Amino acid sequence: MKKIIALQFFFFTSILLAQNNGHLTVGFESNSQYYMDDEKTGDFTEENRYRSNNYLKVDYSISKFHFGMQAESYEPMSLLNYSPDYNQTNIALYYAGYKSKKLEVTAGYFYEQYGSGLILRSWENRQLGINNALRGAKVKFSPSENIEFSALYGNQRSGFDVSDASIYGFNSEINISSMLKAETWNLDLGFSYVGREEVNNTPTPDYDFNDLTNAISGRVSFSKNNFYSSVEYISKSNDAVIIFQNVRNTKPGNAFLFDVGYGKKGFGINATFRRIENMSFYSERSATGNIYNQNIINYIPALTKQHDYLLTNIYVYQAQPQVSFQDPTLIKIGEVGGQVDVYYTLKKKTSLGGKYGTKIALNMAYWAGLDGDFDFENLNYDADPLGIGEKYFSEISLEIRKKWSRKWSSIFYYVNQSYNKRYIEGARGNIKTDIFVSEATYKLGSGKSLRFEAQHLWTQDDKKNWTGATVEFNLNSKLAVYANSIYNYGNEEETKRINYYNLGGSYTKGAHRFTLNYGRQRGGLICIGGVCRFVPESTGIAANIVLSF
Amino acid sequence: MRSILFLVCFLFYNIGFGQKTIPNTTLTTLDGKSVKIHDEISKDKITILSFWASWCVPCINELDAISDVYDEWQEDFNMELIAISTDDARTQKRIRPMVNGKGWPYKILLDKNQELKRALNISTIPQTIILKDSKIIYIHSGYSPGVEDEIYEIIKENSN
Repeated sequence: MKKIIALQFFFFTSILLAQNNGHLTVGFESNSQYYMDDEKTGDFTEENRYRSNNYLKVDYSISKFHFGMQAESYEPMSLLNYSPDYNQTNIALYYAGYKSKKLEVTAGYFYEQYGSGLILRSWENRQLGINNALRGAKVKFSPSENIEFSALYGNQRSGFDVSDASIYGFNSEINISSMLKAETWNLDLGFSYVGREEVNNTPTPDYDFNDLTNAISGRVSFSKNNFYSSVEYISKSNDAVIIFQNVRNTKPGNAFLFDVGYGKKGFGINATFRRIENMSFYSERSATGNIYNQNIINYIPALTKQHDYLLTNIYVYQAQPQVSFQDPTLIKIGEVGGQVDVYYTLKKKTSLGGKYGTKIALNMAYWAGLDGDFDFENLNYDADPLGIGEKYFSEISLEIRKKWSRKWSSIFYYVNQSYNKRYIEGARGNIKTDIFVSEATYKLGSGKSLRFEAQHLWTQDDKKNWTGATVEFNLNSKLAVYANSIYNYGNEEETKRINYYNLGGSYTKGAHRFTLNYGRQRGGLICIGGVCRFVPESTGIAANIVLSF
Repeated sequence: MRSILFLVCFLFYNIGFGQKTIPNTTLTTLDGKSVKIHDEISKDKITILSFWASWCVPCINELDAISDVYDEWQEDFNMELIAISTDDARTQKRIRPMVNGKGWPYKILLDKNQELKRALNISTIPQTIILKDSKIIYIHSGYSPGVEDEIYEIIKENSN
């Protein structure tokens, strides 16, 4: 309660100050759901049918200083399957900072990312229930335009509290080409250090590891004309390997990321390769493998195409950085693989390009486990640096976008997947799918438009075939209504042939947005940015409000 | 909870003091150079900032649609579009081939850890912001076909 009074005080003072030279911004987001019983999928058996996640963010800046806070409210409870630590109404983040051309200082809660995030990333994603901001201080110093150093110290946010472990970080970015006044090529170097110090209170005499775990990262990126490439290597010092909640071994970890590409107008190609071995990195060792994505220090996304259609998001790959010994035939210590992307535009006024040109996107991805000698009895392993183990996932997708006339345009999308459910989810099965999506948009004029989408997923495995459709009607640029449905008609068990239908609408005014949805949600993984959150099947009404001032 | 609701209601009465400028956040170019957003926005042009991501179908539809008419817009008006990618490390490497392959004529900047997106309280993309003399004159979130015509009208109204 005290904090709320403080918040109001802060808020009203800010408004008063804003009348002068300062600058005030406020963002509010509310995601609520009313869960209902469903005769097909069962009654809602959890506590509180009505649940709501709310965020109020207030920022004030004046001259080179800025102040801000974020209050969060999960009342009467957070939405299904958010971390149980999100359980109250309170100020979750607060911060103050100074920013000039050469110097940036932040105290309080802050976000940060080093390199691609493989060594450190603190960020927020409200849909996924991730907020691993650090509470402490961060300093960034740029002595010249080509050099930047930064250092941080803090504890990671965990629910409305912080975890006990101290996080230390240092990062440097140096632009060599600018220092040499090169104009035809670009060369950047990066170096980072991240330390996590967590006192080990449960003695583990058989295993020798330090409270402080060190990780270092080196990066080089180069580009010249239409060609570019980058490489990153990370090494993590010897640390406890947690298996079934206990320290069962100690091992170092490492990651290697390589990327190369070429592009000119109308054509672009990019290839990425990555190998990761024992790279889970948590601010609390005991949080290893938690299903709520809490206490994670680094960011290891699945490097596959991120799809935007309902049926293409049933079998979604997740990166496998962790060591796990589930049974003698199910041992994981990391992953290796890569992906290639090609984008091409067939020129306007050619036979294949047509009047408006045709746009093609192709993605191919392959991921497998690491190979090595595995000793299940002693929960030990010896990784083969060049080995490729069990296949986890592969995917080929092809997208063709075509505008037919001023009014008609369409997208065709084909995806072929191989999803090793046993290794990715620990469940049975190896699933091969073919998915086809076709969508068409028709412009009716004066802002009105109709969009249709038809989808089908073919598979002999798991739950068998699915079909789906979407209709969206935009009445103008502000108001839209939609209905969609996916139906697992091929399921061998008749009672499980479920139609997941949704209907709703959205109203937008400037930066404000209201959406309302009624329907049945498929249980499974909700994945955003390669991070997935498990949500149970549910039926109900959802309302989302976004306001920004 | 009640207090927060009260604050929200209070805000509704004060919509008037709305946001006027863009905070001077550091972004990255496709070459990996750090730049300040204020240095990238030309003072004498009408500037469209389009927040997008490589995986967001409506965002791509919007940028494709504007790309088709961009030459005409630039002939008619002193304007520019900067496409700010909010992709994180998962999909960032796809941006360069995508922009090349689609032949988009825009200046592309990367908001790698979504610092600018967060500072502007952007919850959903696409979000389109139009600036004149560095002041925000129009914001639109979401894309439905035809929004580009609305954007055209806004630029027209604000071009002298």
